[in-house]
Amino acid sequence: MATVAIPAAKWNWVPPYPRGRTANNLDADAQLVDRCLGGQDAAWEDLVKLHTRRVYSICYRFTNSDAEAQDLTQDVFLRVFKNLKSFRSGEGLFVVWLTRLTRNLLIDHYRRTRMDRATDSIEDQVKVLEETTAVLARTDGMLAGREASEVLQAGLQKLSPELRETVILRDLEELEYREIAQVLNVPEGTVKSRLNRGRAELARVLRRHKVRI
Amino acid sequence: MTCAELEILLCDYVDGTLRGEEKTALDSHLAGCSACAELAKDVAGVTAFIETVASAEPPAELLTRILHELPTGRPAAEKRSWWRNWFGWVHGLLQPRYVMGMAMTVLSFSMIARFAHIEPRQLRPSDLDPVKIWASIDDRTHRMWDRTVKYYDNLRLVIEIQSRLKEWTDQEQAQNSSPARKPGDSASEGSKQKAESGTQKTDGSGQKPEAGTSEKKR
Repeated sequence: MATVAIPAAKWNWVPPYPRGRTANNLDADAQLVDRCLGGQDAAWEDLVKLHTRRVYSICYRFTNSDAEAQDLTQDVFLRVFKNLKSFRSGEGLFVVWLTRLTRNLLIDHYRRTRMDRATDSIEDQVKVLEETTAVLARTDGMLAGREASEVLQAGLQKLSPELRETVILRDLEELEYREIAQVLNVPEGTVKSRLNRGRAELARVLRRHKVRI
Repeated sequence: MTCAELEILLCDYVDGTLRGEEKTALDSHLAGCSACAELAKDVAGVTAFIETVASAEPPAELLTRILHELPTGRPAAEKRSWWRNWFGWVHGLLQPRYVMGMAMTVLSFSMIARFAHIEPRQLRPSDLDPVKIWASIDDRTHRMWDRTVKYYDNLRLVIEIQSRLKEWTDQEQAQNSSPARKPGDSASEGSKQKAESGTQKTDGSGQKPEAGTSEKKR
């Protein structure tokens, strides 16, 4: 197996392993990356299998479109395939690197499709609102699972991209604050401030839709 | 604890990782500040709501699609050829937006050169001397100014207005001079009368100049 020279860590923090991720997971990521760089096709398959859900989920929550999320996920992995050499396991977590790459692609996509969204959004919002009202009448404002997911999806679209991506990365993808700070390239304090604003805004939107929170 | 300090600690508070004095201080602030209490309630409520949300699962065929699209081999370790390393930037310049931008720039400069009567084919190195360029610009500016002034002066409307104004000025002068005359001043009376009658002749009648003056005043 090819060995990768690990340079001294550039960041000063010592990473306690994030929620839902263990030392084994992180080792597995590092080993997979090594194997991919060594040219093993099977390693690529494992890497894609392991991270498709995360990448797709971020894209779907951000774009609110299954088709766009699928295309973007595919683009992300093509970019990973081309740029994996630029990732150094000693400089940070693979998950952070992958999330940053996904986020950059999403922002590019957001800017590119700004005009399309301006024409589509009104119809979509009316549709979601009608569906939500029907669901709420049935469930007395208490939602869970798939229905909650749809309502949350509609609420997220009302947030600005900055607040939306922060809420997605923290509350749905469960990244640590410092990891989000690295992904977004902003200080940790800014992450927390955006998170508070995003959550408060989301609460207002949900309450307006008569969702009990 | 201030509201701003609370906002910084609120995330940790909602996560349940805030301990000790900070937690006590935050709790006491929330008890006394309704705005922060509402914010904390909203934030905690949304966090709890999101925990009930089902995760977004990708369709099964997406994995197949991605694996099918990924080229096989070892692309990351692949070495780029030397000409790509050296001339890779040319590819970036050939993007449609850059090409359009460059075309617009060339077009703009050629239009400016055309209006300024600059012939790029006849340009010589000596023409690029700053002094010569400055002299040329100065010369062209003066010529253009003279041409504009000449054009303005030759306008029929301008000539008519100028002649009418001159006429009115003459009439006013003539009127002002006649009441100022003293009745007993016999020495110059004869000659002045002559001048006055001459003016009246040109006006046609004694009443018209007054009418003309009042019209102008109106």
